[in-house]
Amino acid sequence: MGDLVVGISDVKVTGRPEDVLVTYALGSCIAVAIYDPAAKVGGLLHYMLPDSTLDPEKAAQNPAMFADTGIPLLFKSCYKLGAEKRRIVVRAAGGASILDDTNFFRIGQKNIMAMRKIFWKNNVMIENEDTGGNFNRTVRLHLLNGRAFVKTAGGCIKEL
Amino acid sequence: MIDKILNSIKNIPAFPETVQRLMALLNRDDYSVRDLAAVVRYDQAITANILRIANAAYFGLREKVKSIEQALALLGRQNLIRTIQTAGVSRVFRATSGQGYVSTGSELWQHSVAVALMSQILSRRIRGEEDTVLYTAALLHDVGKMVLGEYVQDAMTGILELVTGRGYTFLEAEEEILGINHAEIGGRIAEKWNYPEEIRDAIRYHHRPDLLSETIPVPWFVYLSDQFTSMMGVDGGVDGLAYRGLEQVIPMFQLREKDLETCFILLLQDMERAKDVMNIV
Repeated sequence: MGDLVVGISDVKVTGRPEDVLVTYALGSCIAVAIYDPAAKVGGLLHYMLPDSTLDPEKAAQNPAMFADTGIPLLFKSCYKLGAEKRRIVVRAAGGASILDDTNFFRIGQKNIMAMRKIFWKNNVMIENEDTGGNFNRTVRLHLLNGRAFVKTAGGCIKEL
Repeated sequence: MIDKILNSIKNIPAFPETVQRLMALLNRDDYSVRDLAAVVRYDQAITANILRIANAAYFGLREKVKSIEQALALLGRQNLIRTIQTAGVSRVFRATSGQGYVSTGSELWQHSVAVALMSQILSRRIRGEEDTVLYTAALLHDVGKMVLGEYVQDAMTGILELVTGRGYTFLEAEEEILGINHAEIGGRIAEKWNYPEEIRDAIRYHHRPDLLSETIPVPWFVYLSDQFTSMMGVDGGVDGLAYRGLEQVIPMFQLREKDLETCFILLLQDMERAKDVMNIV
């Protein structure tokens, strides 16, 4: 069984049932895990920022950095392995914030909203979401059965 | 409890003497490479670390340096200070398991290096210059976790109850349950290691620079670097983002939301270029 580590601003897809896709250090960033149970194909994206208009050049080099370029890349990469949109199950986690951030930087919230907007516009349901809060997360997606798990900094693990 | 914790500071390893002697030389305007080399020559561990760090792409040397003399000669004064401090602090971090806050000491080290890199990104952006005092303070900001970790681990249930149930910051919960917080302990460790007041205060107030009577930039920069880096996900452990946003920092540094986003991108690049430094512990 191989753990495929997805870094910050990174995406990986696979169709091998023995693989586990994992991403660590999700602060305000978001992990989007998708899985097609029929094709047994899955992918994990760890994007850092909501909107590629901030730096189009960077977005061209590394689309996985932004929600609006990373999410399409994640889906297209899974289609190449035989996944189909209508069957894909979407789960997401991350988007944490610091305490009392009303007048501070709200990057976690912006990342959550950007993702929801993209899925809503494309008629894709988010099956389950574990976002917000003020703790960091680790996300694992098991290709064997498509189950995904979130671990929070305190060590607590729950199914996504 | 607090006496026991303060007593544990005594058990922390001594700071490498070689580094202190190198810094004393570098603080003089007329330091020579020969003098530096004479000091470092007999400390193999520090020599090896300096070479490895100096060869990280982050420092931008055109050729790979093979000897310590070459490294000392080719790195400019600022990069030399950063390299030597990093080499010294990494020795101390290697001695900690990081238990309590993180699962391995290398996690705490990676967070510390990332905050130090972020401090230079912010300083360049806001003040148009890098700052080696700020770099050192940022690298050391969480050093108190080395001592407080074991106590935090024992008191974890109570601390998390206050944080998740009652809206305490992690710092406030440490104070309530253990009688002291990791920033205060870090300040005392820095004192033991003979760091100047500017660095000690920046460590001691890195979550609450607003408590300092005077507004001096270094503690605020360390605070902001730590927040930004932790928000990006490269955090200092179980305390994660359980700290308050101090909104006055935004007008103070004339920041916009875009600045944070750009800093994330720049840090990601610098972390890649400093990968060898981050993996040294």
